[in-house]
Amino acid sequence: MLRFAGVTRKFPNGAGVEELTFGVDPGEILALIGLNGAGKTTLMRLALEMLRPQDGHIEIFGTPLGQLPIQKWAHVGAAVETALAYPELSTAENLQLAASLRGADRDCVTEAIETWGLEPLARRPFSQLSLGNRQRVGLAAALQHDPDLIFLDEPSNSLDPASVIFLRNELTKSAQSGAAILVSSHHLDEVARIADRIILMNHGRLIGELHTTGPDLERTFFNRIHVDDRNRQTAAHAQMLESAAAEPN
Amino acid sequence: MNSRTLSISKIAARPGLGTAIRAEAHKLRRSLVGIIASSALIVGTLALLTGITAGVASGNEELIAQAGPAANLNWDGLLLGAGQITAAGGLIGFGVVLAWLIAREFTDGTIAGLFALPISRGRIAGAKLVVYAIWAVIISTALTLGILSLGLAFSYGLPTGEVWQGLFRQWALTIFTAAITTPVAWLAAQSRSILAAVGGAICLAIFSQVGGLAGIGGWFPFTAPALWAMSNGSAVNAAQLSLSLAVGVAGAVFTWRTWQNLELGR
Repeated sequence: MLRFAGVTRKFPNGAGVEELTFGVDPGEILALIGLNGAGKTTLMRLALEMLRPQDGHIEIFGTPLGQLPIQKWAHVGAAVETALAYPELSTAENLQLAASLRGADRDCVTEAIETWGLEPLARRPFSQLSLGNRQRVGLAAALQHDPDLIFLDEPSNSLDPASVIFLRNELTKSAQSGAAILVSSHHLDEVARIADRIILMNHGRLIGELHTTGPDLERTFFNRIHVDDRNRQTAAHAQMLESAAAEPN
Repeated sequence: MNSRTLSISKIAARPGLGTAIRAEAHKLRRSLVGIIASSALIVGTLALLTGITAGVASGNEELIAQAGPAANLNWDGLLLGAGQITAAGGLIGFGVVLAWLIAREFTDGTIAGLFALPISRGRIAGAKLVVYAIWAVIISTALTLGILSLGLAFSYGLPTGEVWQGLFRQWALTIFTAAITTPVAWLAAQSRSILAAVGGAICLAIFSQVGGLAGIGGWFPFTAPALWAMSNGSAVNAAQLSLSLAVGVAGAVFTWRTWQNLELGR
């Protein structure tokens, strides 16, 4: 469903992502874990064409991103950064707007309001909702059309425990029905409960995978990050020594 | 792992420009910015004209001197006053709405949600500009009808053929003013900031006054429509007016291109 092959996008300040190669298959939940600034959001932006890669290529539904027929995006659901919801519109109007822009059936809005328990908020302006409820509306807008490929960036942010459990169940159901899901999170325990695979990002690179059932995930995660940082420092140091040695006396 | 072909159950149709236009129209209709700007452009202009007329009628000599020919208590004076207010205030009123229409997606953060849709950003920008154009025609028509009502209420008599022509020029001036404001949309798309774009609209209003004072009004696209309307069509020729239209089209095309090639998080 989604393939990254050697994707690189660097920014003038040195941040960005390098040599990303991975894939997400139908029915799979792939979790992306990393510290702040690791490049998780940049990776999501690249997959959603918010950014264009400088090197490598990305495929969605087996088609290179630049050649993807625009109607295929109707089968993608994304909640990355801020929700597609306007403050002056009510919850129901925002869901309706998101559905119509995807060409989705009107019935899916009623269904989403029921499924996500948004009935009490349906007529309230989005601007008057709490952060947690805004997140629920954003997730409902992203998932209401039953997408085949789902991108969620920190989806459990601001959600109460009941909503976190509900989201977990919804994602598991979507994956069981064949959807491919890429989800980024800071919460290792949370993603370990639903993910089939967990990949680690550090300084814009993928540095390995964690076993979802492995012991003490947090310690393993920080060990991997620590080892990667040390390797990077050693490599940088070695490069500096090489440069110094190459300079004429 | 399961696999499935792309789901089609909940996707009823491919959304087109019409869908985007309906969405943008709904957002503008429900927004406070749209309501306030519409009120300012129609009610504000009519209130100013009523105030000036009342002041002139009461013999306020300072106001009569400042208003010049617009102080005449007849259709000519009323239309001249309306033209002056539209030329100056219209650029700011239309500019605020354009700045909001385009840049609000960045300041509200909703721009990220406009990716990964089966409708291109260019088409969404096009929808915004179409909605803006339709709104401008509605504002222009309502304002012209308001001016007609004011003239009748002030007992200036039934409009003659010349007055109807003047009313048409007022209607066209409002639309021209909306058109020459489109560079503000491009500035909003480039700066991704409502305030920067509103600043651009204020600059346009200042430039239009400077262009008039410097005597280059006819060939200055931001001044030409006002000169045309206020000179009964005699001071500006069709080529000069076309230049104003070209500025409007260029502003719209640049805005569309900026949105079509948009990247976030550069």
